[in-house]
Amino acid sequence: MNPILADIYSTILPSAPYIIAAYALLWVALLVYVLVVFRGTKKAEAQLMLLEEAVADRAAKGE
Amino acid sequence: MSDKKLKLPEVGQWPDKLVAPALIAGAVLSTVGFLMAFFYVAPVGGATVNGAELIGDVMVSQKMLLSQKIFYFHMPVAITSFIALGFGCYYAVRFLMTKNQRFDTCSRICLEIALLFVALTMITGEMWTRFEWGVWWSWEPRLTTYLILMLIVIAYFVLRSSVDEPERRGTFAAVVTIIATIDVPICFMITRLIPSSIHPVVLREGGMSPEMGLCVGLCALGMLCVGFVLYRARFNQVRLTQRVEALKETLDDERA
Repeated sequence: MNPILADIYSTILPSAPYIIAAYALLWVALLVYVLVVFRGTKKAEAQLMLLEEAVADRAAKGE
Repeated sequence: MSDKKLKLPEVGQWPDKLVAPALIAGAVLSTVGFLMAFFYVAPVGGATVNGAELIGDVMVSQKMLLSQKIFYFHMPVAITSFIALGFGCYYAVRFLMTKNQRFDTCSRICLEIALLFVALTMITGEMWTRFEWGVWWSWEPRLTTYLILMLIVIAYFVLRSSVDEPERRGTFAAVVTIIATIDVPICFMITRLIPSSIHPVVLREGGMSPEMGLCVGLCALGMLCVGFVLYRARFNQVRLTQRVEALKETLDDERA
């Protein structure tokens, strides 16, 4: 490559790790938040099912 | 104001109907924005080089700054964090007016989303700072005011966890939310108020080419959609958890 082009492109490769890290960390952080919300929802739904069973048991015993 | 007259945010209301379209729009717009950033928008130039070369149809005499591509998501996540804080402030004010815990819940979730996007702004900004400025941190006005904003939002959650009584907790939290929101215009305007040689003023006439503006606009819309979907998902989860807790208390009371 001629020296002027080499100079023009000189910052391209060294900056690549920082760009990849910026984009990767951005999407990883969003994904982690989504997973936390998803797990929380699943946990709450499981608790709700247990409570519904407890209410049904109590109603059956009451009758 | 009585609770009966209040229209409280709840699961299943009209915003939930927008979740699926917003999710699709968020995914499409952020993907298109990402592709545009790397394949459509020309790289910006940095330091001048000793000479010029024809690249494509353009004579180029500056270094190509690939690192500037971080900007196309850095600014949209910062805008999303500001908007999340704005909504948090709106719900905080409504809580102070009504003392209804639902508004405190909404405000807390907005602040969570804001903290997530503030952290993303910091992460993407740090990557740029490290490469372009050669340091991990600089006490530059924009960075400093944004750090203050992040610390206020972190303090908000520390404060919440240290107060047990719901109304007092909500009141303190609402005040901190309003203080954090006051920092938003300061963060935004600081590069104009204190001209800094290193942090560029981007939103001004001639600050961006039309292609850059379009790319940033698409990414910003995409990130706003993502932020909205995250907010609704978290709101649905929190409301479900609150209903479970209320049901548990009712059952315990009946048992007693």
